[in-house]
Amino acid sequence: MSIRHGLLALLTRGPRYGYQLRAEFETATGGAWPLNIGQVYTTLGRLERDGLAVRGAEDAEGRHVYAVTDAGRAEAARWFASPVGRADRPRDELAVKLALALTGSGVDVRAVVQAQRASTLATMRDLTRRKLGVAEPAQALVLDAQIFQAEAEIRWLDHCERSLR
Amino acid sequence: MSVLDLRDVHRDFGSGASLVRALRGLSLTVEAGEFVAVMGASGSGKTTLLNVAGGLDRPTRGEVLVADRLLTGDRAALAALRRRTVGYVFQDLNLIPALSALENVMLPRELDGVRTAQARTEAAVALADVGLADAASRFPDELSGGQRQRVAIARALVGSRALLLADEPAGALDSTTGEDIMKLLRARCDSGASCLMATHESRHAAYADRVLFLQDGTLTESPTPSAPAHTKEDA
Repeated sequence: MSIRHGLLALLTRGPRYGYQLRAEFETATGGAWPLNIGQVYTTLGRLERDGLAVRGAEDAEGRHVYAVTDAGRAEAARWFASPVGRADRPRDELAVKLALALTGSGVDVRAVVQAQRASTLATMRDLTRRKLGVAEPAQALVLDAQIFQAEAEIRWLDHCERSLR
Repeated sequence: MSVLDLRDVHRDFGSGASLVRALRGLSLTVEAGEFVAVMGASGSGKTTLLNVAGGLDRPTRGEVLVADRLLTGDRAALAALRRRTVGYVFQDLNLIPALSALENVMLPRELDGVRTAQARTEAAVALADVGLADAASRFPDELSGGQRQRVAIARALVGSRALLLADEPAGALDSTTGEDIMKLLRARCDSGASCLMATHESRHAAYADRVLFLQDGTLTESPTPSAPAHTKEDA
């Protein structure tokens, strides 16, 4: 999971202070992934460096408000539109993405679910084809492990979609 | 050549306040040798779709072509076309208990009017194709659940039948037996048959060439997915 994209998604809702971002991130994701404030500011520094966010002037209490740039808005949209690869991802990114989509990032949550399901199902078909080609039962079972994980994700996506009705 | 072609098919049940629009302008083509899976929640219309595709039910509007022939006209012609080209496999209750495996598979050919000797030969070939040559004389209650489904698939594809309509064909089987049925369907399609399968199991759908989602009476072809994004990790 990229904290970078999570914070960027929050910033598309309007300018925020670092501490606000941390609180909103934890609220949206149900506290499943606590952030420390240091991570938040490090990430904001990188977003600024990469032209995705800008830091406003210091207020009376020495705090800075951050705002998304056009490039940042485009990057957040791209993140929501891109399926998460199963290959080497930390598993929670998808759950966090949906939580942020659901709590009002102005994206079509159903489209996010459907794009993800299509991608995961395509992965499952590739795995199934590979499984049909292997002779060694152990190899088939290793592929099965990935197939069942993909199945679990699809069932969860179906459940999300039904819950949205 | 397309084996099955549904064009803007609608199927309504009831009327007025109790009108249910099960299928709403659905189009679908299944090519020869193609294995197509339809996924959808229960009540999404999967069974209605299979019934309309096989001529067991008629669309309220739209056209159904099987082997490039329109499923219309008089009942006898429809029944004959249906019988000669389409086979069905359901979740269970597929076989006639009083008939042996071979006799079950012979039955559709005898209904086609084929002579008994020829029906017997064709049924033996169909049973061998599903790996059950040795079980020909057994009765359904002497077969395992997986073997019974194999017999049902043999019966559905016996003779010149080229289109298999399967409604949750592995729904009542354990996971490994279910996989064996999927492998068999895959193999039958690889050797030229076509299969339209309704399932709610993504693991089973993953054996198909294409997966379609049925929702609100229309099909969404699972789009060719964009490559998953590999976002850089940071922070």
